[in-house]
Amino acid sequence: MKKAHRTVLTTVAALLLVTPVVAAHHGSAISYDTTHLWSTWATVTSFSYQNPHPTMMFDRTTKDGTVEHWVSELLTNPSVLARAGWTRGKSVDALKAGTRVKLYVGTSRAGGHSGIVMKIENEQGENIVGDRSDVKAVDLDGVPNGLQPTGEKKLPGQPGA
Amino acid sequence: MTKIAKTVALALVPMAMLVQRAIAQGPPNRGNPQAASVSSDTDTRAYNKRDFNGLWARNPQAYGLPRCPECADPGPWPPASYGFLGTPPPRTPEGQKRFDMNKPGRGFELGSEEANRRTDLDIGMRRAVLPAFGNDPEARCEPLGLARLITFSGGGATMEMIHSQANDRILQRFEWTWDNREIWLDGRRIPNVDDYLPRYNGYSTARWEGDTLVVTSTGFDDRQWLDQYGYPISEKAVLEERWERPSPNRLRVQLTLTDPATYAAPWKSSLKVWTLIPKDKMAVGGWSGILEDRCVPSDEQKFNEFRDHAAGKK
Repeated sequence: MKKAHRTVLTTVAALLLVTPVVAAHHGSAISYDTTHLWSTWATVTSFSYQNPHPTMMFDRTTKDGTVEHWVSELLTNPSVLARAGWTRGKSVDALKAGTRVKLYVGTSRAGGHSGIVMKIENEQGENIVGDRSDVKAVDLDGVPNGLQPTGEKKLPGQPGA
Repeated sequence: MTKIAKTVALALVPMAMLVQRAIAQGPPNRGNPQAASVSSDTDTRAYNKRDFNGLWARNPQAYGLPRCPECADPGPWPPASYGFLGTPPPRTPEGQKRFDMNKPGRGFELGSEEANRRTDLDIGMRRAVLPAFGNDPEARCEPLGLARLITFSGGGATMEMIHSQANDRILQRFEWTWDNREIWLDGRRIPNVDDYLPRYNGYSTARWEGDTLVVTSTGFDDRQWLDQYGYPISEKAVLEERWERPSPNRLRVQLTLTDPATYAAPWKSSLKVWTLIPKDKMAVGGWSGILEDRCVPSDEQKFNEFRDHAAGKK
């Protein structure tokens, strides 16, 4: 393939791969800023495989050594997870307390240490407890408070704001 | 890179952005309920058009099957996965009064850029509040009601249709909220509403018109919302459903709501389409069938604590 043709195709492919808009689910798209996702390494402290959405608590450590305690819900509900192969037993096993994971998070619109988890990766880089491999996020590992909303409309904020 | 290639690449940027935007927004809502009437099913095997038995889903890709383009709602974005009837008719003064009391947590957020831009949509789809400050009965695990059960398209969006052995009724089972309704084919008439307690799923009778099953329902509990946007319904509303099986693997329905107390004209829905899901495809751990996906108040309460926290609700 000629270089010029490759450039054209690459340009189009890159534009089509822009992170798609996230489907609203149980009102979550309004409660959280799902259009500005960020990622962080974290340690699971508890996980509950429940309707209408699983919940997870996790800790993350900032660059200055401060440990933040976060609460979150997962976007994908148990019936979809189960049919995607992430049954209760497999999910609970994959997210045992103490497990280190990389999380793709949308912070709550009200701010604070509350968010929705759009994607989870294990230490091997595998997508676990979900099948949203296309989720993209800005890496804010170690940045205090991750991405916080700001302004009157609470959208979007600056890292650490 | 040649000059021509650069020019082509630059020209494709806005085009690709438009395509991406179209993908993100889904099909535009043109208020044409017939827009999705062509079946994408290519199965040409003979089948019984009056046999609706089976497991059906709006999202066949969730079961490892090809996508069904016409199964997606031709509605607004964000997608109306928790119930979407279609473009509403004008409301009566009484209908408007009840409409104003409902505070949905889905749709375009009131006052947002999208809500202000999409003036082609009724205000019902542009008035969402944070769910923590809404009053959607679903958030309290109250029954969804018939129209919302039928038009639900989230998650697996799964239902089961069962013809009784005596062929005097069809049982329709819905996965989300684990609800069901009976469609009577034994010749009975729909009841005089004042003689019966209203029910969330009403009272349904049906007849065949050719290969179309025409279902008529009334006697609705008016605490239900018609859809996720909080459109109201009155007890004496009459809902007509016209069910067809246009190909071996597709089932579709069009609904018409006649509710003169609430709406100034009949409300004709967009077409709702399902794909037939083979039993073995709808299995978890070898156990096939729809899941007992109940809305359990204690589960919901726990979830709502997270929701309230996310909204900063004290």
